[in-house]
Amino acid sequence: MDAIVAENLTKRFGELVAVDHVSFKVKQGEIFGFLGPNGAGKTTTISMLITLRKPDEGEAWVAGLSVAKKPAEIRRRIGVVFQDPSVDRELTGWENLWIHGVIYGVPKNSLRRRIRSLMEFVDLWEKKDTPVKHYSGGMVRRLEIARALIHEPEILFLDEPTLGLDPQTRAKIWDYIEDIRRREGTTIFLTTHYMDEAERLCDRVAIIDHGRIVALDTPENLIRRLGGDVVYLHSSSDRLEELASMLSETGLASDYKIIDGKLMLSVRDASKAMPEIFEAARKLGVKISEISYKRPSLGDVFLHYTGRSLRDSEGSWKETARIVVRRRR
Amino acid sequence: MSEAVDAFNIMVYRQLKRFVRAKSRLFGSIVNPLIWMVFFGLGWSSLFKGSMAKALFGGYSYLDFLAPGVVMMTVFMGGFISGVTVLWDKEFGFLKELLVAPASRTAGMAGRAFGDALVATIQGALILAAIIPLARDINPGGIPVTLAAALLTGFAFTSLGITIALKISSMEGFHIIVNFIMMPLLFLSGAFFPIDPLPEWMKVLAYLNPLTYSVDLARISMLGSGSMNPLIDTVVLAASSLILIGSAALLFREATID
Ligand SMILES: Nc1ncnc2c1ncn2[C@@H]1O[C@H](COP(=O)(O)OP(=O)(O)OP(=O)(O)O)[C@@H](O)[C@H]1O
Ligand SMILES: [Mg+2]
Repeated sequence: MDAIVAENLTKRFGELVAVDHVSFKVKQGEIFGFLGPNGAGKTTTISMLITLRKPDEGEAWVAGLSVAKKPAEIRRRIGVVFQDPSVDRELTGWENLWIHGVIYGVPKNSLRRRIRSLMEFVDLWEKKDTPVKHYSGGMVRRLEIARALIHEPEILFLDEPTLGLDPQTRAKIWDYIEDIRRREGTTIFLTTHYMDEAERLCDRVAIIDHGRIVALDTPENLIRRLGGDVVYLHSSSDRLEELASMLSETGLASDYKIIDGKLMLSVRDASKAMPEIFEAARKLGVKISEISYKRPSLGDVFLHYTGRSLRDSEGSWKETARIVVRRRR
Repeated sequence: MSEAVDAFNIMVYRQLKRFVRAKSRLFGSIVNPLIWMVFFGLGWSSLFKGSMAKALFGGYSYLDFLAPGVVMMTVFMGGFISGVTVLWDKEFGFLKELLVAPASRTAGMAGRAFGDALVATIQGALILAAIIPLARDINPGGIPVTLAAALLTGFAFTSLGITIALKISSMEGFHIIVNFIMMPLLFLSGAFFPIDPLPEWMKVLAYLNPLTYSVDLARISMLGSGSMNPLIDTVVLAASSLILIGSAALLFREATID
């Protein structure tokens, strides 16, 4: 059975189609990622899956239950970590988990044990009696992950679990996420706009942009589909297009894209292809100002499918603003 | 059913915990009414003296007249403002944690309102203890009834605060609520001056205000007589509580994450 099934899931905000006929399936026990820039529709998709927003069109099933018909049953079986903090800052970490457990109907005795083991798991047991307002951003995140697991959910939803955290904390949270799946077999649906996160954690990744899934596969397959290596070639020449089509006609490049005077060529082996590229460029009179190559990453996959790099579309001021807001809280 | 009871109880627990943590809030909630009692009460009572005062204030000195009003004012403001702090839960995200929970939202909200009503009643009791030396005619036997009326009042106005907070979308609304809803309700309740001599339109508003009945009930239990029948006061208060918690629960049941 699939843990999550979405069929043509659609959400509009006025004119804007925030989520546009999105369909996918998440297998049981899988770590499935939604990768996309700010405003892509990740949070909106999650909010429909966790029954907090009604889809305008389409249907979804979570743990085999329809989000439209069985929201209460679904809520019992899922754990959610929201994008923005959702803890009670005046209360201690322990009290936050206690409230959660009671609300979810966990029997009091096993709840005490469960809180202890989960707080130890996320390394917060020593901080159990500290009010959450004195926690750092990373500690709040870890507490929220522990809280989402208290009632032993079948499916865990994580909306940008490492947004705004420092590299060490992010790596730690990645370890926790992998441990959760290993220990409890929990299915994990996460969203992120960090390529490294998706590549490191996810069994399969859906790339989402402007509310649509533009690609969906394992990270390896997505990368492999781009070919072996990616060659980046900068030139001010107006014959770049001609060069690219020539190279792909001879079969040297399996695919190409031109973005802002930068040619991206997918080739099997860059070290062999580069001399031939120089040769072809010389014939056409294309003056190369800069050339480089690398093994492709999910970032290149994203660029390939959306024509924009994640970083460009990120609107970094927005993220900075949000990190500031997070700190203030 | 037992799950609904759990949801109710745990929200009472949460509100009490928050109250215990926020010592400055406790301090502020008590100092403010005391300032009213001392400066407003002593100030006017030096003007309203002797038989003139007794004629104006139903046979009591002004300080005695004011004492039940100040107790209910404490409970009212404490409850109402706690209810409005649902806005903070929205802002700081805790509301989402409740929204995605499987528990009954009605039970959760009722628990929250009851917890805050308890807190408001404790605040009212502290004020009552503090002002007994000032108002000498208070009947100690009436204190239990006063506290029961306080609990009902706290519950009603916490629910009103929650309802309003769920209706408005932003924190900016907070000061508007305080100035345009809380203060008029307070002044048109008979807490500071009798209602009957007021202009007709004010009188109508005062009788539509549930707080009027709380103040009257407190006056009857603390001093011996008020201006209405205590049974009517109780029925109006209980009905207001039910209607207001009902509207809060209804709004919360329909709430989404925006
Ligand atoms: N409540 C709302 N009302 C109107 N528009 C909204 C609302 N929520 C989201 N949107 C819009 O819908 C689009 C998708 O938003 P969403 O929050 O799902 O994106 P996201 O992928 O989670 O982005 P981010 O990385 O910023 O969290 C955005 O353009 C956003 O501005
Ligand atoms: Mg988001």
